[in-house]
Amino acid sequence: MEGFEGFRRNGVMSAAAVTITMVTLLALGGALVVAATLDHIARHLERQMQVVAYLRDGLTPAQAGALRDRLARLPGVRSLDYVSKDEALTRFQQSIGGQMDVQDLLTRNPLPASYVLTADDPAHLSAIAAAAREFPEVEDVNDGSQAAARLLRVTRIIRLAGDAAGAALALVALVIIASAIRLTVFARRAEIEVMRLVGATAWFIRWPFLVEGAITGGCGAGGAVLLVAGAYTVVAYGARASLPFLLLPAPEQVALSVSWKLVLWGVAIGIIGSLLAVRKYLRV
Amino acid sequence: MVEFERVTKVYPTGLTALREVTLSIAPREFVFIVGPTGTGKSTLLKMIYREELPTSGRVLVHGRDVTRMPAHQIPFLRRQLGVVFEDFRLLPRKTVRENVAFALEVTGVPPREVDDRVQEALDVVGLTARAGALPGELSAGEQQRVSIARALVHRPPLLLADEPTGNLDPDTSWDIVQLLSQINLRGTTLLVTTHDKTIVDILRRRVVALGDGAVVRDQPRGLYAGGR
Repeated sequence: MEGFEGFRRNGVMSAAAVTITMVTLLALGGALVVAATLDHIARHLERQMQVVAYLRDGLTPAQAGALRDRLARLPGVRSLDYVSKDEALTRFQQSIGGQMDVQDLLTRNPLPASYVLTADDPAHLSAIAAAAREFPEVEDVNDGSQAAARLLRVTRIIRLAGDAAGAALALVALVIIASAIRLTVFARRAEIEVMRLVGATAWFIRWPFLVEGAITGGCGAGGAVLLVAGAYTVVAYGARASLPFLLLPAPEQVALSVSWKLVLWGVAIGIIGSLLAVRKYLRV
Repeated sequence: MVEFERVTKVYPTGLTALREVTLSIAPREFVFIVGPTGTGKSTLLKMIYREELPTSGRVLVHGRDVTRMPAHQIPFLRRQLGVVFEDFRLLPRKTVRENVAFALEVTGVPPREVDDRVQEALDVVGLTARAGALPGELSAGEQQRVSIARALVHRPPLLLADEPTGNLDPDTSWDIVQLLSQINLRGTTLLVTTHDKTIVDILRRRVVALGDGAVVRDQPRGLYAGGR
């Protein structure tokens, strides 16, 4: 109760502390959202469990059939589908929608025929892709796991950058929150002095200030969650409509995974800031 | 009750507040600590409730060496002491009853016990009729009585009073000291620092005089300035 009172009484200083915490967590939240999105796309690609082996042009039906048999016998291949050059062009036209009619623009079909190999386990994707590349009839191999691995590398970098920026901003928020709590400590110094003299324990004295810090950090986090989740929702719904192949995760999914992390961070920053303020000014 | 064993206190500024003070206070004693300003009287009291640590020597309270006491035990030491100050240190936005109750509430005393013990303390100091008043509505003497009530509410065996009459006129000072005498008669050990020569000389209790941080005189039934 006293923690809530302290937060309310500090007014402007509490508002400043909440704002700076929110800014800190916005940066962190942005990094988390980007990382979560890339993570989602990477896992989607992994879940496809497919390797596409593009065939050289000019293969005879017999050559294509022999290749099919060898590909089907590769360890880890569950099933195999043939996509002809015409079928590939049709699928491409479908993916870009009505923006242009490629058949009008092209004099010849540049897209290769392919075999789509479905793996029984994502762990086999790399091995299947490597083996497929060895066949002379295969021009190129599109390996979902390679793309997934590349994305995960990018995700890690973004997470590290987000964590570093978040840590630096968290330090700033910590200092601001500590300053706000110090105001409360100063305002209540007479009461605190009496508490110390009559034998109140250190934790009894400390506790309301920790609550105040947690409230400050939690409110900042709440604001950040609303802004981050709101912004992502707008972007995601817009992107899904115009860029369906982007495979963006559902806004609710991102909001849930990011929210609890931001709130945890916010409350932690608030409590740590309070501990520092109380320790210094209470000799407790 | 309280033992000082060769206690010296040198502040970081180089000021020596106490020099090799050896002193023993028995239960139920009433002791005046006298001496000029800056001679270490307040520092002596602060050692007892662990607001200050000696540079060397030991201070024992109820047989426990408080100089070696871990920080988390200090609150429990202070619940066995009552401390009264010259400036009363009341909380201005709390009533008399609330000021006294505060000492019990912040130390985890069950609410059902608080009212009874507050009433008991207010009865001892004679302020039951003013229980609903704020400190700003009280005279200086009444404020000091509230401070004493708050110090007594834990029923401590030892009461420390640092210049309790420093802000009071002579008549009120006498009332307060009489109150402290009554408290002592009920069995509470009393340690009072004071500049008030009149009161010391009238009461003729044990007088420990400090000079330049050292004990220069320790007389049962003593006078402020020494002599018999």
